[in-house]
Amino acid sequence: MKPAFVTICLKELRETLREKRTVGLLLLFTLMYPVMFGILITQIIDRSTRSEREGIELAVIGAAKAPTLMAQLKQKNITVIDTAPLDEAGIAALLEKKDKVAGVLRLSEKFGANYAAMRPARIELWFNSAAESGPQRREVEDVLEAYGTNVASARLLAHGVSPAALAPIQVQRYDTGTNASRSAGFIGSMLSMLFFPAFFCGMSAAIDSTAGERERRSLEVLMAQPARAWEIITGKWLMAASLAIIGLTLELILAHMVLSWLPLEEIGMTWSLNWFDIGMVCIVALPLALLAAALQIALAMNAKSFKEAQSLLSIVLLLPMLPGVVVSMMDLKTALWMYAVPMLSNQTLLREMSKGVDVGVLPFLLTFLSAALPALAIVAFAGWRMKSERYVLAV
Amino acid sequence: MIEVNDVRKQFGDVQALGGVSFSARDGQITALLGPNGAGKTTLLRTLVGLLKRDHGTISVDGVDPERDPLTVRRNIGFLTDQFGLYERLSTREYLTYFGELNGMGGAALKTRIDEVSELLSMDDILERRTKGFSQGQRIKVALARTLLHRPRNLLLDEPSRGLDVMSTRALRRALTALRADGCCVIMATHVMQEVTALCDDVIVIAKGHTVAQGTPFELCRRTGIENLEDAFVSLVGEEGIAA
Repeated sequence: MKPAFVTICLKELRETLREKRTVGLLLLFTLMYPVMFGILITQIIDRSTRSEREGIELAVIGAAKAPTLMAQLKQKNITVIDTAPLDEAGIAALLEKKDKVAGVLRLSEKFGANYAAMRPARIELWFNSAAESGPQRREVEDVLEAYGTNVASARLLAHGVSPAALAPIQVQRYDTGTNASRSAGFIGSMLSMLFFPAFFCGMSAAIDSTAGERERRSLEVLMAQPARAWEIITGKWLMAASLAIIGLTLELILAHMVLSWLPLEEIGMTWSLNWFDIGMVCIVALPLALLAAALQIALAMNAKSFKEAQSLLSIVLLLPMLPGVVVSMMDLKTALWMYAVPMLSNQTLLREMSKGVDVGVLPFLLTFLSAALPALAIVAFAGWRMKSERYVLAV
Repeated sequence: MIEVNDVRKQFGDVQALGGVSFSARDGQITALLGPNGAGKTTLLRTLVGLLKRDHGTISVDGVDPERDPLTVRRNIGFLTDQFGLYERLSTREYLTYFGELNGMGGAALKTRIDEVSELLSMDDILERRTKGFSQGQRIKVALARTLLHRPRNLLLDEPSRGLDVMSTRALRRALTALRADGCCVIMATHVMQEVTALCDDVIVIAKGHTVAQGTPFELCRRTGIENLEDAFVSLVGEEGIAA
């Protein structure tokens, strides 16, 4: 003979899974996130490695007028494409073709004459700021600037003036921000979203099996069966929790597969988690799903209709986001207490592990217990409340 | 055997039961008569221990439903005014669920489901999902659930509503068979014909009080009225009808 809560759990699970559209949508939402996230990171990698890989292509009109400049551009790995004279519309059309040229350089007709006469010789740089080739354009500008400075120095030297007079200050730039640290922040914030299936996968099932059952008036029949109040609650809780666990585990595994497959090294990052680590993350995330389901059952059973419970729980859905938002807003450093706050603890743990930090055993233990203990307490409370007559009486 | 002695129950300011006493014997079908709002549903809920009484004693085969609700419920088949079907489950799955909750399982449960289904002539809807069932089909499924675990006591709240002639006959046959087996059946109903044809004992309640208990014949004799319906109206009084 099966215990009553197992019977109830299996029946609720079967009933929920028969609602194919809801299950399909949940699955879609769960699996879509890691995939979208993979596509986004692929784009970041692609963008940051493009210039090194391909070099820069630059269309030049009238290249023959400035051979030295062309030679310098080539030295900087910029490919010069000699182009026939174009009007404005022609240049715009050329720049419209994305990924072709970083810009168009047009040397004016009188360039040679002005240059020889030491008058400012005009070079036009045409670019399309909407085409995201900003870094490439700056490289071209740097070459132009360096060329200009070189020529100026040579001319001053010819007049007996030290070129140093032209440079009263010297600016040396040091950028400590690397692509890796920028992307790490971005990936970190994406990682914290990975735990949301714990909250939304079991939600509609939790509502349907409590407030829904009450609304349909089948709860009275169930309560008249030889099953204790805590067995009914436990059955429904385990059902909602198992859906949340399935969603959460699928999401984490898929995210792990996507992140291991992406060439993160190209932007100086690594995904240092292996299958054992991700297994551990999944295991300590179990109580989070159990806690979410317990909270949803305990709240939804007090609502008199499906709709009432739904609006109540959608507010509760925002709750788990709160600690993460507060921490990132106040810019707090990772501390031990964070592992004692459910949801925040899982997010912190995964983020630290993805950085390759050896966190030790205590954070795992804290993460597990900080969600498991409240979950049990809430279920016990809900089971105790269920004994009340008000759940039998009409809506 | 169900014995009830001076049971009272109050919801806020409303006195739902103001003193109900009766005894329903094994091997008898006892009718529970009363106008709408007389407290029939509250009484039945109190008998299975879903509601706690404020006063009085209840004994179901010698067990107090408030002390040991699980033992009482194992021996009671309770048909409520709501059927409590699950639209996404088939009739067989529905019956299996409640059978397992009552400690049955395996081949024995399967055989019993077929038995009950034959008894209520509902083979045609056994494998169908309960969504879209007619009123009569719904009540058959709920009745099957009530009878499934062979309870010694049956509490039926208007079991014949919405049933066609054939099904009503099937229900009567089933109830007569249960009586022959020595079950204790309490049946709330509004159909006087049914009471006359089926019931050995009648309890009349109005406004939460027991007004009378006896065989249909005794009630007629006591009021001096030949027709049971008129006798019932006379017992309940104008007050009870207004409520």
